[in-house]
Amino acid sequence: MASASDGGEDQATLANQQTNIDESTVKEPLDLVRLSLDERVYVKLRNDRELRGKLHSYDQHLNMLLGEVEEITTIREVDEETYEEIIKSNKRSVPYLFVRGDAVTLISPHEIRS
Amino acid sequence: MLFYSFFKTLVGKQITVELKNDLEIRGTLVSVDQYLNIKLESVSVLDEEKYPHMKSVRDCFVRGSVVRYVQPPEESVDVDILHDATRREARSAV
Amino acid sequence: MSSMLKPFLNSVISIITNDGRHIVGHLRGFDQQTNLIVENCHERVYSMENGVEMAPLGLYVVRGDNVALVGDVDEELDQKLDLSAVRAKGLGPIQW
Repeated sequence: MASASDGGEDQATLANQQTNIDESTVKEPLDLVRLSLDERVYVKLRNDRELRGKLHSYDQHLNMLLGEVEEITTIREVDEETYEEIIKSNKRSVPYLFVRGDAVTLISPHEIRS
Repeated sequence: MLFYSFFKTLVGKQITVELKNDLEIRGTLVSVDQYLNIKLESVSVLDEEKYPHMKSVRDCFVRGSVVRYVQPPEESVDVDILHDATRREARSAV
Repeated sequence: MSSMLKPFLNSVISIITNDGRHIVGHLRGFDQQTNLIVENCHERVYSMENGVEMAPLGLYVVRGDNVALVGDVDEELDQKLDLSAVRAKGLGPIQW
């Protein structure tokens, strides 16, 4: 098992190496988002909404513009008699969609299949 | 500022705005400000049967904070310009 | 800037609030935060059982944070609406 100090040193070296590579460096979360530009991403929003689409633009609030978008909304209802949970999904496709960042809960660079 | 500039390029175009209360409104974009508040004219509500609240409204102001989505017209999106502007903004943000 | 509301000054406006209420009245003032002064206003209460109910409110200051939408009411069009025949659920609240 590697000691904690070894791990720390490795991390420091790695960080030093990465300062030389500019555009591909990931130092903070938004850098990872930048690397997904022009790639398909998976975005989760509040209230059971999911989007898949090509990331064309974003800003520091995580406002985004996606292309060839597929939106899935999931509605959960409880049957009044049987108390069974009924899950309904609605799917729709949109050529371009601006998404306001305040509803975004996560972005994944990999297009996770449902 | 990036999306403020983007929306300014859509002035005069038909857009569809979806609010966080599920109301969907289509109209011509008249203006936008730094908060991404938007003003629309010649508006129509997509599901007027369900939402008859806007029947006598032609022009309206939508507070940026209640917008969930905006659908721009397909032909008015230039992805190359957006990619460049996004990279530029990402570099200058730090 | 929020001078976008300037053309609506002194005309009848229709406000949709973040908690889903629908308020109609004369816009007498506004500021940067979308705080609104509305005179002679009433709330339009929607239901599936009855027509639209008008609840008089008087002079209101609506806090900007609670404003979702402001519409410029075409009064001629509005008077032609038969609100007693309208059946609709109330609007839902703004939810992220």
